Amino acid sequence: MSAVVATPGGSAPTRILEARDVHRSFGSTPALRGANLGLAAGETLAVMGPSGSGKSTLLHCLAGIYSPDQGEVRFNGRRLDTLSDAARSKLRRTEFGFVFQFGQLVPELTAADNIALPLLLGRTGRRAAYQQADVWLGRLGLEGLGGRRTGELSGGQAQRVAIARALVARPRVLFADEPTGSLDSLTGEQVMEILVGLVREEGTSVILVTHDARIAAYADRAVMVRDGKVSADLDAGVTHR
Amino acid sequence: MTLVRFGLRLSLRSGREALVRLLLTTVAVAAGVAVLLSVFASYHAFATSNKRPAWEQTQGAVVGTAGDKSAASTAMAELWYFSNDSYQGQTIERLDVAALGPHAPVPPGVSRLPGPGQYYVSPALAVLIRTVPADELGERFPGTEAGTIGDSALTGPTELVIYAGYPPARLSPLENTIVVTRIANGPQTSVWTNYFRYAYGVGALAFMFPILILIGTATRLSAARREQRFAAMRLVGATNRQIGVVAAVDSFVGAVLGSLIGIGGFLLLRPALSDYAIIGAKYFPYTVTPTAWGYIGVLICVPLLSALAAVLALRRVRISPLGVSRRVTPPPPSTWRIAPLVLGIALFAVGLALTTKQSIGTPAYPGLLVVMVGLVTAGPWLTARAAGLFSRLRGTAASLLAARRLTDSPQAAFRSVTGLVLAVFLGTLLAGMMPAINATAATPNATALQNVLLDSFSQDSLGGGAASPAADNGHLDLAQQLQQLEQTRGMSAQAAATLLSELTSRYPDAPVLPIYNAPLKVTGATATGLGRTIVPCAAMTQFPSLGSCPAGASAINTDTSNLMIANPYFSSRPIVTDTTTRSSGDVSGLSLNAILIRPSSPVQLEQVRTFLATHTTASASAAAPETFGEEVQARLNVSNVIQRLFSIAVVLTILIAGCSLAVAVGGGLAERKRPFALLRVSGTGAGTLYRVVLLESVLPLITATIVAAATAYGLAYLAVMKIAPAGTPVPRPSVSYYATVGGGLAASVLVILTVLPILGRITGPENARFE
Repeated sequence: MSAVVATPGGSAPTRILEARDVHRSFGSTPALRGANLGLAAGETLAVMGPSGSGKSTLLHCLAGIYSPDQGEVRFNGRRLDTLSDAARSKLRRTEFGFVFQFGQLVPELTAADNIALPLLLGRTGRRAAYQQADVWLGRLGLEGLGGRRTGELSGGQAQRVAIARALVARPRVLFADEPTGSLDSLTGEQVMEILVGLVREEGTSVILVTHDARIAAYADRAVMVRDGKVSADLDAGVTHR
Repeated sequence: MTLVRFGLRLSLRSGREALVRLLLTTVAVAAGVAVLLSVFASYHAFATSNKRPAWEQTQGAVVGTAGDKSAASTAMAELWYFSNDSYQGQTIERLDVAALGPHAPVPPGVSRLPGPGQYYVSPALAVLIRTVPADELGERFPGTEAGTIGDSALTGPTELVIYAGYPPARLSPLENTIVVTRIANGPQTSVWTNYFRYAYGVGALAFMFPILILIGTATRLSAARREQRFAAMRLVGATNRQIGVVAAVDSFVGAVLGSLIGIGGFLLLRPALSDYAIIGAKYFPYTVTPTAWGYIGVLICVPLLSALAAVLALRRVRISPLGVSRRVTPPPPSTWRIAPLVLGIALFAVGLALTTKQSIGTPAYPGLLVVMVGLVTAGPWLTARAAGLFSRLRGTAASLLAARRLTDSPQAAFRSVTGLVLAVFLGTLLAGMMPAINATAATPNATALQNVLLDSFSQDSLGGGAASPAADNGHLDLAQQLQQLEQTRGMSAQAAATLLSELTSRYPDAPVLPIYNAPLKVTGATATGLGRTIVPCAAMTQFPSLGSCPAGASAINTDTSNLMIANPYFSSRPIVTDTTTRSSGDVSGLSLNAILIRPSSPVQLEQVRTFLATHTTASASAAAPETFGEEVQARLNVSNVIQRLFSIAVVLTILIAGCSLAVAVGGGLAERKRPFALLRVSGTGAGTLYRVVLLESVLPLITATIVAAATAYGLAYLAVMKIAPAGTPVPRPSVSYYATVGGGLAASVLVILTVLPILGRITGPENARFE
């Protein structure tokens, strides 16, 4: 694996996702102050930074969850921040996938239900959706656990369900915010191995927010966020590999 | 369709918590539906009985007039003599009828008119006649039973009605006999119809309000967990519309199940409803139904409204993929919230200030309404203040924790008891005023005469005092008119002597007070003696509440016309007044105006009544002899019905409020499971947590009850002191009021206590999570 070295704005010609001079405040507290970032197709990018630096806010702006106060976010060259709520919902359903630290699974549903959920919401037929869910359960080593509710799964298993759910609709970008934050280091590494392996197979781009250098090392490239700005590219991945 | 199935799956197969929520929502909706259907059914029964042909209100020409002649000339006429009789406090509607021709109209419920010596009776009266000794009832209706009267003439199965057939010659001499050619078949036009209609409407709303709060509280159970689910769905791309569909399905399922169970519950309640005389009369069981439309309406509207409410509730929150945030964080209630309450009290006071003997000041009515609105708006402020005060007075950890939560969200705490506030307010207002209103009928004098039977035989058509020639007797001079009157008024002296003699010999232990018509005298163009009566003093001593004769007098000449007024407040007043004069004790030759008799027992009362009915011509007022107590009771019945309705409303509302609080407490416990468990782990005793939860629910309940009751009592006091006659006692709610409110509150607290055992279980150290 080779790291892609780029400027904070990114220089890869095939940028799939891009933030330009993004500002975002919460009340009077600024979280992002002119953040610039580019993500190439198929690239895995780690966003690092200390707590409160704005890295999660940047991820949420890139994913269309937050609208920036100023600046713009483009996906495939199209403004994302000006899209309607319904259009952004559709984008999250079809083009994006999400893996968070915890809490992103629907607690009342089984593992298979959770994985099938994005497909069901996208009006895929029930049988097809659950067939796909079974496939992904197998790919993530969760055979036989499809009928369990999320509360009956271990932390690592729950994160693998979350990864399966994030990838089942074959998104073009996967947003991962501290995906191993609630796991022990060994399980965390296992989860990351699976995640990185699958996105490579699928050709999915990944934005990986973490404060853990060992997790960042799975990325092709890493940037540092400080005081609401993307301050520097770091050479990630190489050190790990 | 997929989403609907998905929503169904979430509602029905999402684990225990979802099932508990579904169960509570279902129970809340079921309770609401059962109550709603009961109100609909009662109203339908009430409306149906009011739509029965009001044959009692049939009009006709008075016998002996020109109208009588033309009516009687047809073959389609009959003579009617309608009167009300009484048995053990129950009214018997009695129609004495005589056909004048072959096509005389037939009253409802029978196929033909009873012939002379026959009678038709309602089923309830038939049973009474068969089971009660004849000298207490049956002898009043001579003849044979020809059949029973059908439902179409009756308002309910317990109504006592008789159609008795007579030859025309027997009825035509009676003063109140009319000639009827057409029987009234319009609906009842009781003066109370509209009041009861409004009462049912208000009752339905009053019941629905706390029920809706209960349903709302139940559906908000585990809101945090559900909102977490919605946020997770948003994260994977669900639109707000799709979330709305899932929420609506969730709510719809509970509402459908609740509606079905509610209908089942109503069907179980139905026999009791038709058996319980809510407004003083039982209904035919088949009329106690919400009708097919009611069932269909409930099955369609309740689930749809429930689904709609769920969608609307989602508009209050912003569900983003990262979680849920409230659109509006309610600010702490400001002091302005008590402004409507103060304004309402002021308006009511102004209304009372403008009140005269004739009418209540107009501002009093909107004042009452504004007070009710004010109680609701002031509730959260009062809850917050009460919580703060309680926290200062009791500086324990439990009171601090409970007060903090109540102060932070007094709106949520007060919401569950809003209906209760209104019910207690109205209940207390009524409980404060009713004794004063009742006191105007049940005066001490009326109570003293409670078992005294009054039978009057005369009615001075020219009124009391001095007489002037009547218009239709203009061709006669005054002396001739008086002579004519003398012959017709009252019971003849001879008949009177026989009657009194028989009464004395049959019922020696029943004191009798005969009241004779004073002799009429003409002086020039003025007649005196009209409206004056002679009362023997020896008999007066048995009825001391009517006054005492002057010392040494053997009889008095006095005005006893008050006795005939159908209002015990007047009729029971002493007959010895400033205008009373001595009279010679000689009553021979005087016609009998009325008698008062005090039977020694209820059985004897009916025997005397039967004797009077069969040994005298019908009384002038077409009413059977009644006791003063029965007159009082007739007046109290309406207020009793209103009090009964409100008592039911208060008890149900308090119970529903208790259920709402219990559901809210249960939901609050589930959502605070983690912090409570951590408090337990860090050394807080389970008892402290119990007290926290109990205080959080009981404090708003008690505060709301006290404030509502105090406000209502204050208003009732002001109203009674201003409106009621001088000497009316200070309003004091009855024991039943304290029992109703106290019992309801105790039941509510018990309901809340049933939830508390969950606390110990869910906050055990084994349930603590530290991540």
